Amino acid sequence: MSMVPTTTIRRRALPWSVIIGLGLALVIIILALAAPVIAPYDPMRMASGPRLSAPGLTHLFGTDEFGRDLFSRVLHGGRLSLGIGLTAVLTGILAGGLIGLIAAFSGRVIQSVLLRLIDVLYSFPDTLIALALVAFLGPGIGNATLAIAISLIPFYARVTYGLAAAERAKPYIEAAQLAGIRSARLVRVHVMPNITQSLIVMGTLGFSSAILSAAGLSFLGLGVQPPSPEWGGILASGRNYITKAPWILLFPGLAICVTVLSFNLIGDSLRDLIDPRRKSPS
Amino acid sequence: MLFLIAKRVLTAFVTVLTVIVLSGILIHVVPGDPVTAMMAQSVTATPEVMAEMRSQLGLDLPVWQQVVLYASHVLTGDLGTTIRGNEPVARLLFERLPNTFALAVSGLSVALLIGIPLGFLAAINRGRLADTAVMVIAVLGVSIPGFWLGLIMIQVFSLKLGWFPVAGSGYRNIVLPALTLGLTYCALVARMTRSALVDILAEDYIRTARARGLREHQVLFVHALKPALISIVTVVGLVFAYLMGGQVIVENVFSWNGIGRLAVQAMLERDYPMIQGFIVVFASSVVIVSMLIDILYGFLDPRMRQR
Amino acid sequence: MRSRLRKTALRTSALMLSLGALLTTLPALSADLTIARSVDADGLDPQKASTTQSLQVTNLIFDTLLTMDKDGSVHPGLASEWSMSDNGKSYSFTIRDGVKCHDGSVFDAAAAKASVDRALDPATVNPNLSSWGPISGTSVDGKALKLTLSEPYGPFASFLTSIQAAFICPSSVAGSEFKPIGTGPFKFASWTRNDSIKLEANTDYANVNPLVKNPGKPHIDTLMLKVIPEAVARMAALRSGEVDMVEPSLEEAADLKADSNFKVYSAELSGQQMLAAFTWKIKPLDNPDIRKAIGMAMNRDAYASIAFEGLVNTSNCPVAPNLFATDEALCATWGVTYDPEAAKALMAKAGYGPDKPLKVKLLVHKLPGWDAMHQIMQQDLAAIGVEAEIETREVAAFFDHMKGVNEKTDGEPAVWTMGMSGVDPDYLYFLWKQPGFVNMGLNADVDAMLEEQRKLSGDARAAKIHEIQKYLMENAYAIPLLSPGWGWLMASTSKVDGFTMGFSASLIFNDVTKS
Repeated sequence: MSMVPTTTIRRRALPWSVIIGLGLALVIIILALAAPVIAPYDPMRMASGPRLSAPGLTHLFGTDEFGRDLFSRVLHGGRLSLGIGLTAVLTGILAGGLIGLIAAFSGRVIQSVLLRLIDVLYSFPDTLIALALVAFLGPGIGNATLAIAISLIPFYARVTYGLAAAERAKPYIEAAQLAGIRSARLVRVHVMPNITQSLIVMGTLGFSSAILSAAGLSFLGLGVQPPSPEWGGILASGRNYITKAPWILLFPGLAICVTVLSFNLIGDSLRDLIDPRRKSPS
Repeated sequence: MLFLIAKRVLTAFVTVLTVIVLSGILIHVVPGDPVTAMMAQSVTATPEVMAEMRSQLGLDLPVWQQVVLYASHVLTGDLGTTIRGNEPVARLLFERLPNTFALAVSGLSVALLIGIPLGFLAAINRGRLADTAVMVIAVLGVSIPGFWLGLIMIQVFSLKLGWFPVAGSGYRNIVLPALTLGLTYCALVARMTRSALVDILAEDYIRTARARGLREHQVLFVHALKPALISIVTVVGLVFAYLMGGQVIVENVFSWNGIGRLAVQAMLERDYPMIQGFIVVFASSVVIVSMLIDILYGFLDPRMRQR
Repeated sequence: MRSRLRKTALRTSALMLSLGALLTTLPALSADLTIARSVDADGLDPQKASTTQSLQVTNLIFDTLLTMDKDGSVHPGLASEWSMSDNGKSYSFTIRDGVKCHDGSVFDAAAAKASVDRALDPATVNPNLSSWGPISGTSVDGKALKLTLSEPYGPFASFLTSIQAAFICPSSVAGSEFKPIGTGPFKFASWTRNDSIKLEANTDYANVNPLVKNPGKPHIDTLMLKVIPEAVARMAALRSGEVDMVEPSLEEAADLKADSNFKVYSAELSGQQMLAAFTWKIKPLDNPDIRKAIGMAMNRDAYASIAFEGLVNTSNCPVAPNLFATDEALCATWGVTYDPEAAKALMAKAGYGPDKPLKVKLLVHKLPGWDAMHQIMQQDLAAIGVEAEIETREVAAFFDHMKGVNEKTDGEPAVWTMGMSGVDPDYLYFLWKQPGFVNMGLNADVDAMLEEQRKLSGDARAAKIHEIQKYLMENAYAIPLLSPGWGWLMASTSKVDGFTMGFSASLIFNDVTKS
């Protein structure tokens, strides 16, 4: 994913994929927020129904091995998964952004050391970094979120560096530097406003990758702890019922797919829009 | 060109060296004591036994000394021995590296075979419904958790249909994990193919070709696809890196005996020398492959060759 | 007339010949057995391995000096006879004649001595070193191996039957690298780490283990131990016939049991016991009443029937049933029983109630069945006003963590669970004698009792062990939960016959045939 700097999104009609993505994302966010109101049962209460009962009218998605209502669990799980994604991405953007800016506005030595480090870490897929970190930190929702946030830092550092370095090369910055304005102020007043838009777009991509990482960690038993209904966790604890009660795997899996898909669609298409290498006018 | 190659090789070397030092430091920044962790299951490990083990592992030396020692050992090809089983880390990793590469290359082939036609389809239908549909399908692939897809594949293709064996590292075993990886990462390829083709189709020489009255399929396959494929080479390295990462979980689902299995096992057991060795070998493979692809790209792209 | 007789005789003998041929060729046609386990062995050196998964393999390659029958009685093994001096400080083991190592060399008293010496050598870093007891000298006297102890050690004979006490052949350590050469029913053939271990039947094998019927070589020729970490994949491999036997997932084990195409085996002799323990140094868990209340809240029947799909039993003692001096009925009178109402009353007396819940951590490690049990346990505790937050770790990380937690005298109180296995109640010593396993040791009184039982034998030792168990349970330091209690179940297709599980979840393949 090569990051190329830009300043503005060209105004034109949003592509269909963005509209689909936005629509799906909106529905998912509303469902997650309204979970306590919509959910027919307490997601943690065992024996809400018979154990392992198939999807039906009383239990829309069926029940799990403890007779908990799966529909309620998937709804509440959305809050957890989206929450983890959001926290991780915000932390990742803040820390990564800072590192990227420092790299862009510091001397040659610090810059090349930082860039080298970022590149090395960036060569590791984020899921793998998160996995290694959580193996060391210990499991749990807090550690998992932290690990995912850290795993996103190289990505955002790299993006921010690219954006900021391009901004720095612009004549007005040079002029300002000649005028004796300090780097910190320059960044705050001039650079930041120009790159935030692109960072937000990149945020949606990091968001879907964070949700996948969280699910993967929970699947390996290193993420959110039971009985919390995080999607990956439901998959992990229900996977051995794949022949007996496949719905325990089906619905949380679909929830992950649709959520990640919607944010990927938004991020992917918007990135195409802001990518200035796209010379072709459409 | 020669200068370019030298520069790339040097960069790769520095990167690998950084990784080695970083992984040497890693063991000292993590909480917990490796010896306690490894003896945890044995109720009868006495403090003396643990102390003996600690000094065998060199954990009683100052940190910088351990890091320097580690780096110098790695450079001579010695990655230490595992805590569990006391086996040479390097041997364990290199025995499995061919399996991991075989799966990565198969997965990559699947991703290219699916991704390039999809990207091509999207590009020639740019802006139309088919474009959106194709890209949504491609993005869907990258949105499915690999472990989930893997479990479903086993259930359907191995158990219900009996087409492929469930576990092992033979040639028939490679199909399902390669398919899982390929489906996951074909979106990256599709997107790059699409944008490369879209760019090329807007070039002047394509317009000239069309103006010369060449058939549309000739324009597309001869004049546009070939240069597009060359620029796709650049993403192959990237897809490869991602694929290697995704492979870690997929190897576990399909019991594929590669370095990813070894790594997850080591992470769960906190076998530090094994984790360090994995990081070094994994990062080096990714760095070397992307270096080779960069150099290959230099040969393929005439503009780069002239430099 | 004569010719007809001859003809009949001929026909009969021909028939018998072909029958004989059938009998010998049939098993030979499919004399390979493939098993899939979740985890590979760490190593095949029985004096260095610590995990059950490793010892399950080494136990096939190596023999023990003595063996144990179902009732806990001790029988000959590599030693055809043995004796203990009156003061309990010296033992003599006569090594059986004609025992051969897998490489053809003879296993004699000198070989046995070399093996013990290596097991005791600090340089070996034997994780089971202290189980060997206070051995002060080893010597060879003709066909006998003589061991002298600095003081009596009651559990010694039982220990010598355990999978931790395997005897290796001298050729194992002749080279620079350890080679798994033993005297056991299977020879080591090859090992691809994390993938498969291949063993071949030892054609010279003569069995004396009372748990085995087959007197000679195992019926199967090769044994392949594969690793399939993912339970879903393992079950698919069993159902599709790719492997003959697996460690099943608990969730499907009950279904397999009901299906005539499959068989399920549980490790009834495993000596495994699960218990709940407390950070009793941290307030308010220093109050025995609160510990009792928490114990009373635990619905062990639900753990057995729901979390473990009815494949395990509840148990009442801090050590597993079937072991020496373990009396389930007696233990029941010392411990707490499921009674949430009485538990609430105890909590109320200590000042806790619905408006003032007690917050604790539930520290656990990841294992099949246990995860589900802890979720039910969490609800049980909530019912008496104890809010428990579950923290799950991988086995190694968990015990590392518990070591620190058990040392603390303040901080967040925690309830935790663990499992333990062995062939003798002496494992109480390893767990509870200060500092104890992961620092769970109790106090000087308990230490003294634990030391004492080691020096006793017979009824006197049984009485002392009862005293210890009574102390642990009346003070609610330990809440016994279930036995055998963890994932070491096996399941096979119905084609496999004669498989059994021995002590410490060992796998016994000597009698296995495959049709």
